[in-house]
Amino acid sequence: MTETDPQVAKSPEVALAVRNLNFYYGENHALHDISIDFPARRVTAMIGPSGCGKSTLLRVFNRMYDLYPGQRATGEVIFDGRNVLERDLDLNILRARVGMVFQKPTPFPMSIYDNIAFGLRLHEKLNKADMDARVQDVLTRVALWNEVRDRLNAPASGLSGGQQQRLCIARSIATRPEVLLLDEPTSALDPISTARIEELLDELKEEFTIAIVTHNMQQAARCADQVAFFYMGRLIEVDSADRMFTNPKQQQTQDYITGRFG
Amino acid sequence: MADRSHIVKSYEHELGQLRSMMAQMGGIVENQVALALSAIADRNEEAADAAARQDPEVDQLEREVEGLAIRLLALRSPMAGDLREIVAALKITGDLERIGDYASSIARRSLRIRMPENQISLSGLRSMGRLVQENLRRSIDAITQQDSNRAMEVWHADRAVDEYYTALFRELVTYMMEDARNIRACTELLFIAKNLERIGDHATNIAERVFYAVTGDNLPSLRPRGTPATALTVAETMQEPDVR
Repeated sequence: MTETDPQVAKSPEVALAVRNLNFYYGENHALHDISIDFPARRVTAMIGPSGCGKSTLLRVFNRMYDLYPGQRATGEVIFDGRNVLERDLDLNILRARVGMVFQKPTPFPMSIYDNIAFGLRLHEKLNKADMDARVQDVLTRVALWNEVRDRLNAPASGLSGGQQQRLCIARSIATRPEVLLLDEPTSALDPISTARIEELLDELKEEFTIAIVTHNMQQAARCADQVAFFYMGRLIEVDSADRMFTNPKQQQTQDYITGRFG
Repeated sequence: MADRSHIVKSYEHELGQLRSMMAQMGGIVENQVALALSAIADRNEEAADAAARQDPEVDQLEREVEGLAIRLLALRSPMAGDLREIVAALKITGDLERIGDYASSIARRSLRIRMPENQISLSGLRSMGRLVQENLRRSIDAITQQDSNRAMEVWHADRAVDEYYTALFRELVTYMMEDARNIRACTELLFIAKNLERIGDHATNIAERVFYAVTGDNLPSLRPRGTPATALTVAETMQEPDVR
């Protein structure tokens, strides 16, 4: 039923390879036999109506679901040669390598500086000067440095929503992950902050593999290299963004993206 | 999901409006071409005037289609089939406007021709006119019915129009060589033939755009073509001056 874009499939490197993934919230079978590749250093957008399973898939990649009893996954998610679903996998390492940013900005209740340093301290032993340099580096990369350089010790909660979200992205990339998961990262932001985040994605994809869930079709069209459409827990179609939005192969995709879904 | 209409009713309504404006424009242009052909074939001056008089209406419709298409692009951010249809409309409206221009140019020229009696046969031009008219009708049907098969037919038939043009070119050059008094009328007829050929090309453009809008695929970039008229046939005609 699904069609894979030959160009994307040809891409030499696959960062995440999902094979026959099924996911259950207790009795509820939320994802049905999903198989999809996430090409390295590309943006893959996941679209579909609420409850279609796209956020669930994102939560599988860093085993977020482990925090909740009764939720389980079967199948394979191959990341760097290992199945992410294996029981004995070190989740702290996994979550450092697969960063996640949520819909609403979630800064820690601490200073701007510590929001970045907190995660770093868990994974690396850095002296003060190196830590300062890393904080400055990631804040610069999310284009926040000039706005916060004079108030690094102020609480992060004082930043605007857009700034908080960029801080959260900075925090996720501070531990130098390979994959960045973004769950509707701009849905709570104004258009200017949204444009900044989109610009940031363009730069970040040179280094990271990005999976983004979005309800904004134009955003998917602008930011993504590959787009996957989900409906009722099934992957309906995956193709290059270009083809997906001008000439999708599946009628369901066409109906959804053109606003004909009843 | 059986219902294929948009959730937003006003979007559906605007798309309907766009389609009906395209159909209206197609209808007028088709009529203009018919009048222009009647102006030459039947020496019908009223028809010639009528064809030229419809130009402003076509221009006005072109502007309205463009305005609505731009509005739809800006406000609805159309996707997939809708996007293709709207962009196709934006381009087709330009083709239709050009066809209208060629038709009124033919009509105006027909008024200027002083035909040397019984010397020049118009049957070739009439046949070419009928074929172009038929192609135009099919391409407009393709628009209104969003029919890719119809579009494909037009695309294939353009070759015959090119061949008619080549034959007609040869014929008219022969008349001119026979008798210098034919030159004036034949030159006008050559322009008319060229205009008809251009109308055929625009009808083919329309067919290509409809095909893309409906299927999402492009027809091959090279059209089936007849022999190019100029270079080849002038040389051929020159080699046989004694046609009488």
